[in-house]
Amino acid sequence: MLLEEISEGDCLVVGLQETRLDAVIATSFRDALVERIDQGHRNIVLDLSQVGFMDSSGLGAVVYVMKHLGHKGRLHICGLTPAVMAVLKLTRMDRVLKTFESRQAAIAA
Amino acid sequence: MTVTEPLRLVVPATLVDARAATEKLMHLCDRFDAEDRALYGTAVMEWLVNVVKHSYRDAQGGHITICAVAGAEAIELIVEDTGRGIPPGKFEAAPAEVLFDSEDLAAVPESGMGLAIIKSVMDTVRYISDRGVNRLIAVRRWQR
Repeated sequence: MLLEEISEGDCLVVGLQETRLDAVIATSFRDALVERIDQGHRNIVLDLSQVGFMDSSGLGAVVYVMKHLGHKGRLHICGLTPAVMAVLKLTRMDRVLKTFESRQAAIAA
Repeated sequence: MTVTEPLRLVVPATLVDARAATEKLMHLCDRFDAEDRALYGTAVMEWLVNVVKHSYRDAQGGHITICAVAGAEAIELIVEDTGRGIPPGKFEAAPAEVLFDSEDLAAVPESGMGLAIIKSVMDTVRYISDRGVNRLIAVRRWQR
């Protein structure tokens, strides 16, 4: 699993460089993000613009990261493709995940 | 509308093979729009992952047989495995949509959404476990 990581001020931008966020990589993806949080990162932007497919394992990993941050930090998600947004809407996760159209909007919010 | 040849796959019960099988099935789904195609693929992946993790409990050596027929009106999918299956009544008892209190962070599910996704994406879906063979039969129309 390949992650792109860029620091923008106090914000850590993590870009998943995979076309599928599914059961195959969900655990390693979740663990990598949790490690960043445990290292002290509290302001995370997750860029999913390369992801064209997501299943409930991948979605569950994102939710786990959001809950791990809890109220002491924030997870903003950007670059959602129509396919991934369809899964978020089907599962109603679009109501709880904070999504933005662009990376810059996610950083600035 | 044309009816294509049935697709039949026999794949090892692993997550990587579940992913590859899902990708092949999605090639049959060009009559869906992009969003429905993605949702159909997600539903298929949900079931295959369910078979790997729960029916076979990640044990090596199991296989999954997948047959899909892209008909004039709908795509029919039959998935068979010979694992433990899922407990009696669990499939029927699963909700037909993902439900939770979006105001309560702790209530947002991290798992357990698979069967609800399958039921909400497919038009009809049945699960039959008989004489050691577990079979999911799911039909989804091209147009809703």
